[in-house]
Amino acid sequence: MKQALINARILDPATGLDTVGGIIIEDGYISEFGPQVSAATAGTDLVTDCGGKAVAPGLIDMRVKTGEPGSEHRETLETASRSAVSGGITSMVIMPDTDPAIDTPALVDYLKRAGQSHKVLNRIYPAGALTVGLAGEGMTELSLMKDAGAVLFCNADKALTSANLIRRALQYGRGVGAKIMLRPDEPSLSTGSMNASAFAARLGLRGLPANAEWIGLERDLLLAEMTKSDIIVDQVTTGRSLDIANRHREAGNNVIVTAAAHSLFFNELDIGDGSHDPRKAYLTYCKVNPPFRAEEDRLALIEGLKNGSLNVIVSSHDPQPAEDKRLPFDEASFGAAGLETLLSALTTLVAEPHYELDLLTALAAVTCNPADALDLPLGRIAEGVEADLVVFDPETPWKCLRENLSSRSGNSPFDGRLLTGKTVRTMVKGKWVFGPENGN
Amino acid sequence: MTFAYDFSLQHLLGIEGLNRLDIEYLLDRANEFVENRTPEQSLKGKTLINLFFENSTRTQSSFDISAKRLGADVVNMSVQSSSVKKGETLVDTAMTLNAMQPDLLVIRHGSSGAVRLLSRKVDCAVVNAGDGTHEHPTQALLDALTIRRRKGRIEGLKVAICGDILHSRVARSNAMLLHLMGAEVRLVAPPTLMPSGTETWGAHSTHTNMIEGISGCDVVMMLRLQLERMHGLYLPSKREFFHLYGLDKEKLSHAAPDALIMHPGPMNRGVEIDSAITESANSTITEQVSMGVFVRMAVLDALARNLDRARAEASA
Repeated sequence: MKQALINARILDPATGLDTVGGIIIEDGYISEFGPQVSAATAGTDLVTDCGGKAVAPGLIDMRVKTGEPGSEHRETLETASRSAVSGGITSMVIMPDTDPAIDTPALVDYLKRAGQSHKVLNRIYPAGALTVGLAGEGMTELSLMKDAGAVLFCNADKALTSANLIRRALQYGRGVGAKIMLRPDEPSLSTGSMNASAFAARLGLRGLPANAEWIGLERDLLLAEMTKSDIIVDQVTTGRSLDIANRHREAGNNVIVTAAAHSLFFNELDIGDGSHDPRKAYLTYCKVNPPFRAEEDRLALIEGLKNGSLNVIVSSHDPQPAEDKRLPFDEASFGAAGLETLLSALTTLVAEPHYELDLLTALAAVTCNPADALDLPLGRIAEGVEADLVVFDPETPWKCLRENLSSRSGNSPFDGRLLTGKTVRTMVKGKWVFGPENGN
Repeated sequence: MTFAYDFSLQHLLGIEGLNRLDIEYLLDRANEFVENRTPEQSLKGKTLINLFFENSTRTQSSFDISAKRLGADVVNMSVQSSSVKKGETLVDTAMTLNAMQPDLLVIRHGSSGAVRLLSRKVDCAVVNAGDGTHEHPTQALLDALTIRRRKGRIEGLKVAICGDILHSRVARSNAMLLHLMGAEVRLVAPPTLMPSGTETWGAHSTHTNMIEGISGCDVVMMLRLQLERMHGLYLPSKREFFHLYGLDKEKLSHAAPDALIMHPGPMNRGVEIDSAITESANSTITEQVSMGVFVRMAVLDALARNLDRARAEASA
């Protein structure tokens, strides 16, 4: 089957291509693209006119939680995928901290198969637990799980505390070609519910000090150096963390640094003290871990995205139902829904002229960079690549309202915010899964 | 008696958010209640619910008496026997109580921000009787009333607040209020119990040396030390704490000669304060309890007026 997208602004972050033209897709694979492709030259009647809107590789989100298996009331693969494609995300890496944890080849296989259901609209890539039961004590079967389809190994939100275990996991993982992502944290310091700061002290909330992130990060990177291993850093939140990573890169370590989109968008003051609006105080939708930090850290992350020290942006989608969020701040759960706002958060930053953030640079952090980090043959517009695409308008303004989100849980810190840039259509493996044809 | 200033708040959630005129209005009003033994029954026909998720004999009974003196019907909700223990969430409890249409809700809760959360879910006036380690506004008001009656003013006084500042809602509310009223607020605590950014609450200085901190002070306000926090992470032992931060004659001799000695209670004698000092003429510890009733009367009276006004506007 041959189809074509025409009249599109083609954006390929991997090559820096930004041109008006078309894309021809044959049997789900991109066969030709460029300015020469038009309705007249496409050679097919199956033509989608993009009306000048942007077309980019579908987004690859490296950090997504659903509730499947174990807490389906939060989210299922199906509801998450619906939410994801409405935000242009065509591939999701699913965190292993489900119930049970994804810590055996059989469970990886289960998740992989569950992701192939026709109701799941995008690609599901399981991440395997790095330690058995995520208990942080013994390594899982990295090689067998990798063969079963795990593209990444991590201990989800729980940082490992044994330096020796981290060392062995990195060493062993390198041997079997397993990608390892570590959460930079020192859990004994991280006992609070928001950034440790004067603002937290005034609100009477216990803090999560940035120092815990730096201690964890230094340790992990020193162990990566010791074992000559590549490492993926799971969500940094401060400028100093980027400096630490850069210092280790200079020493020859291959370090991939990720951050959550919401960390580039919010700072700790968004939790609110009610001084401007009495309804905006102790907002639990802004309770995430790692937490929103100071404004200077938020700006440093944007700067890091521009200068390449921050490589991958994730949604860190973590659906939490109302009963776990409508609680006093200390008692509420951590986590924010983020799939539908990942692309829009980035395009909103791009639309703010004072950040001087380039659209292709921002897109690279959610397309080719995560693809390269995980060795996935995706995230590019190139001949022979499967057609996972997003059509979006980088300038459409819209208001994010949680009741309109298609995630099963609406715990988005973007609730009520104005965003710039919206997904119009999403294609996975050459099929439209979101857009006018799908009733969206 | 003057009502020239329009105190317009719907709830009393903290000292933060009040201005100096609000505080003066409440203190003046409380003072009128002190002078006038038979107050008007301004809460007659109104229902007040005391909802205490943390046990507190003194604050709960103080609100109870205040409300009854003004003629309110008071319901004391004991959380031990309520459905909160059966897993009902805080918000559900609030909605249930709200459906019974009380006029005033007095809440104490162990989590910071919990009272504010509840205030968004109900239609009545809400008074924060202490939320986590955040605020305890009526305590700060009663302390201010005590100081003002004893010293004739608050402006220009040097006040030291000593002890576990980190976990103290009393310290936060007091620091903000006293600063707003023009006092010089000093905080004294061991480094492990001193939070960062206290200047944002209005603290003038912080001290880890108690003698340095209370030198020349007109008021020495001691805080209750949570004994269960004594061992291990924050402090090595009770006796070392008393040695460094317990208020005894020797340390007190560095404060101004007529310095007031205050404590929100309940006291740990021999931990943060020497028994002998609590009975001195400059100790205001029982007087604070008396002032608590009058301050709470002033708060309930003011909020009830605003509630009536808001309801009248809504039905107009």
